[in-house]
Amino acid sequence: MTRETLEVDVLIVGAGPAGLSAALRLAQLQPPHGGEPLSIAVLEKAREAGAHSLSGAVLDPSALRELIPDFRERGAPIATDVHADHVYFLTQHSRIELPIIPPPLRNHGNYIVSLNQFVRWLAEQVEAQGIDFFTGFTGHDVLMEGERVLGVRTGDRGLGRHGEQKPTFEPGVDITAKVTIFCDGVRGNLTKELLRRLPLGEGRGPQQFAVGVKELWDIPPGRVGAGTVMHTLGYPLAQSEFGGAFIYAMSDRHLSLGFVVGLDYSDPQFDPHMAFNRFKQHPFMSELLRDGQMVRYGAKAMPEGGWNTIPRTYMDGGLIAGDAGGFLNSMRLKGIHLAMRTGMLAAEAAFEAIRAGDTSAASLKRYQDKIDASPVRAELYPVRNVHQAFGHGLWAGLAFSGVAVVTKGWWPTDLGGEAGHTRMHRLSSGKGSESVAEPASNATTVDRRLTFDKLTNVYYSGTAHDEDQPSHLLVQTEVCSTICGPEYGHPCVRFCPANVYEIARDPDGTPRLQINASNCVHCKTCDIMDPYGVITWVPPEGGGGPQYNGM
Amino acid sequence: MILVVAEQRDGRLNRATWETIAAAQALSADGLPVKIVVLGASVGAAAEELAAAGVGDVVSVEHATLGAYTPDAFTLATRQVIESLTPTFVLLPHTYQTRDFAPMLAARMRKSLITDVTGISGTGAAAAFTRPMFQGKLAAEVRPHGEPPFLVSIQIGAYRSDAVRKGNAASVTPMSVDIDASAIRQAPEAPFQEARQAVDLSQAERIVSVGRGIKSQDNIAIAETLAKAMGAEIAASRPICDNGWLPMERQIGSSGQTVAPKLYVALGISGAIQHLVGMKGSRTIVAINKDADAPIFEVADYGIVGDLFEIVPAIVKELEKRG
Amino acid sequence: MKIAVCIKQVPTREWQPRLNDARTWIREQDVSYEMNEPDAYALEEALRLREKHGGEVVVCSAGPARVQQVIREALARGADRALHVEADALGSADAFVTAEALAAAMTDERFDLVLTGLQSDDQGHAQMGVILAERLAVPHSTIIMEIQVVDSGIRVKRELEGGWFQWIAMPLPALLTIQSGINQLRYATLKGIMAAKKKEIRKAPMPGGVQPAQQVVALAMPARSKQTQMIAGAPAEAARDLVRRLREEARVL
Repeated sequence: MTRETLEVDVLIVGAGPAGLSAALRLAQLQPPHGGEPLSIAVLEKAREAGAHSLSGAVLDPSALRELIPDFRERGAPIATDVHADHVYFLTQHSRIELPIIPPPLRNHGNYIVSLNQFVRWLAEQVEAQGIDFFTGFTGHDVLMEGERVLGVRTGDRGLGRHGEQKPTFEPGVDITAKVTIFCDGVRGNLTKELLRRLPLGEGRGPQQFAVGVKELWDIPPGRVGAGTVMHTLGYPLAQSEFGGAFIYAMSDRHLSLGFVVGLDYSDPQFDPHMAFNRFKQHPFMSELLRDGQMVRYGAKAMPEGGWNTIPRTYMDGGLIAGDAGGFLNSMRLKGIHLAMRTGMLAAEAAFEAIRAGDTSAASLKRYQDKIDASPVRAELYPVRNVHQAFGHGLWAGLAFSGVAVVTKGWWPTDLGGEAGHTRMHRLSSGKGSESVAEPASNATTVDRRLTFDKLTNVYYSGTAHDEDQPSHLLVQTEVCSTICGPEYGHPCVRFCPANVYEIARDPDGTPRLQINASNCVHCKTCDIMDPYGVITWVPPEGGGGPQYNGM
Repeated sequence: MILVVAEQRDGRLNRATWETIAAAQALSADGLPVKIVVLGASVGAAAEELAAAGVGDVVSVEHATLGAYTPDAFTLATRQVIESLTPTFVLLPHTYQTRDFAPMLAARMRKSLITDVTGISGTGAAAAFTRPMFQGKLAAEVRPHGEPPFLVSIQIGAYRSDAVRKGNAASVTPMSVDIDASAIRQAPEAPFQEARQAVDLSQAERIVSVGRGIKSQDNIAIAETLAKAMGAEIAASRPICDNGWLPMERQIGSSGQTVAPKLYVALGISGAIQHLVGMKGSRTIVAINKDADAPIFEVADYGIVGDLFEIVPAIVKELEKRG
Repeated sequence: MKIAVCIKQVPTREWQPRLNDARTWIREQDVSYEMNEPDAYALEEALRLREKHGGEVVVCSAGPARVQQVIREALARGADRALHVEADALGSADAFVTAEALAAAMTDERFDLVLTGLQSDDQGHAQMGVILAERLAVPHSTIIMEIQVVDSGIRVKRELEGGWFQWIAMPLPALLTIQSGINQLRYATLKGIMAAKKKEIRKAPMPGGVQPAQQVVALAMPARSKQTQMIAGAPAEAARDLVRRLREEARVL
């Protein structure tokens, strides 16, 4: 069977806020500039736009206002304006409200939204422009010639679980473009390939990440006002662990709540999903959720490293925007507006370069110049060291953040950081040899009403994959059967929030990694956090994954 | 009057007919009288069997064109019977045959047909019918619209054939129908049986299902012994099929098959929600598991907390005793 | 052959039920939709018939604006054009109303063959196709596994209960309801998706005065009527107790 090919002017990989803003911006640039219209294609691995989109989320509308000024009239799905901000410090049994909200966490003028619904709406705006929108198509490999990005090869479809071709087999499509804009999200597999093949990371700090675990809840009305935004620090995390919770009241009876944990903790037995359960067991939360019902679950990693860890985002024939580049403000806990703005700037850069007939790195460098001149740098540069400061502990991080607010980010040196998975300590000697997988150090009992086991939670993520396909988690398994047990106690079992990894025992007692690939929620935690760096996430067959309605 | 349309093949009534009579009795609640009509080429024996049960007067309809089932002939004939007898309700079993002609009958008469009914509340004109929607995720209470007769098809197994209240022998009255053979557009050939390529657990009446508690592929033999003793099919939860211990077609759950047999025996299955959604509609659920907190016990009708390797052989022994 | 395929848009299989406030229908916010699975197999069968015998495949769908999603998917897989009877009420209408709506739009097309799935995954009446056949005044058969085109019309393999099957011959035009899983569904290719944008979707009005045949009074999660009975004792006793109960109480043995 011959491989399909498609040639376009601009290929956008990923229909999240960055990719869709890029597509929309390109459509807007056409009419005033005239000339031959650019051919644009958008690839999205989910079955429909928004299905894999998950966030808190409190949206800073600055980029939205520029992209779609009449967003309200066009029915942008905004749950509510933010009406109140609270920050709490939790101990095991109590909470202390911070009397002053730190300026970065003040959300007056912002909106609480469901990113899933917001992306669906953005996609409608894009489709209304007649742009070719290919859902259910994955970006599998980057097509390159030397240092030039030619485009993307999509994933094969119709392979059986042993890699055999089924009767419906279709090989991946080669899509070539003058400019490819990579918006493949946090730890995007294509961006990861680019970082490997080109020296984009040179001179930058290593990328750093966190994982967010989230649920939507229906609760009895009257407990919390619509538009209330709450953040917590402290319990159940230790001083050395980065993270905290968010609770956003989308209405007075519908909550978005979740827990964020930095993927740089040192305890290999730590389980981020368990931290979320423990958090819900805090008296404040269990009271808030009493008689409520969990209606949706999801998890996703986030880029936390900030400005100094963003790689070079322009190359011959290519640009990187959004979470894939790491454009997230970890101090304000916001990235959607940065994804939108970098998507828009990438579109402008691509448009100008194509019209100028020069899509080389030198020409596309204008993207970096635009970013430097835009609110993106103005926002991210002052907080470039914040996440790295938290690497020294909670109090150091808070103290540093306080200083950074006052000095607008001035600090004599740039704080270095490390890739989070390198901070994981080995088990103290004597442990990790008997059990097949170490139990979580922060385990708690689950009751399946307030707290849940991962497998039950995954059911509520709406995740479905065609069962009969090869596993999309590529793992060098000798490590799992030999040294990982004694050294780390199989942390994949604990850091995956979706019960993908299990350790079974062969008849002779050897541990064997079992991968339940179809539970995967595409969060990328395993690709990031595995201490040996031997797990590679590639997209499963297009269309499969979570169904994050309302998330 | 409630008219039950019996279904027969080669002169033998199917069990679904009796289930439909039980449903008619529930709907009637000793109010409306029940009548049964049986159609075919030669239905004498079937009509006698129905009359002997004493559940209501029997109407027998014989015509050459009704020998081999076609929707055209059965619609023409049944319509004439309904228009002659003027029932308030017409009940049929929700068989493949009913699905093939009852909607045509209802459409032609412009009457309401409510299909796949699992329960009836109220009687007579106030009756409401429960039927599954969204693949059994929801139960809908439905009322017919318009004027009688109201047609209703009853889900197989929703009512028990042995719950029929029998009485004194009733009468059999023949009724003639007028069918023009040239108006029948389908030409059916004789039915035949075929070994199914794929396992269809949705047709099984009893299922014995294994989960992780079975521990090894070899141990599945224990479950198969039980299945054989019960006349059941073997099925499994997801991990068993993922390991290749049983083929994927035997998987029950959100990523496998959804079943609702009369009996579902879950051996060593914890009851993760992904599995439960595939089987919780089963009429009777038996769960055997070592873990008293296993979620499977929340949906089970009968539960045994214990070692399945001891309990299952004991059950087989018990079955063989009386079997 | 001029072939029509009736396709319904239904909530996805992974959808977790949530009801509207009146509990008379589902909560439509946050529902994701997909093509009704049996209809997908009907579409595939139609495409294969066209490949073998020539002609055109026309997708016919009744529903609110959102059903464009499944219409375009069908066009992307290879259908030639589409008919859309658009009305919000059709999103929750019963089989009777849906059949009337489609019949009004389809009659004048004089299709040689109409294929539908055997039933929909949402309301599951298993009636629409058969009612439509009656309205179009064409013969029908249901739960079809295989279609052969012969000189006098078609010969189809119908599924019966318990592993039985039957071949039936009938003239064209005719309507068939198709069993799930009878073929392998093809993927929509990139070119197919792009071409779909240019294919005709004719809008047809909802006919007036159509009355529903039934009314949903209430929707609920299925209730569990029984309590769990835990059986204690040593294995032999527990086994005896269980078998007795299964025989005498539950009567499933």
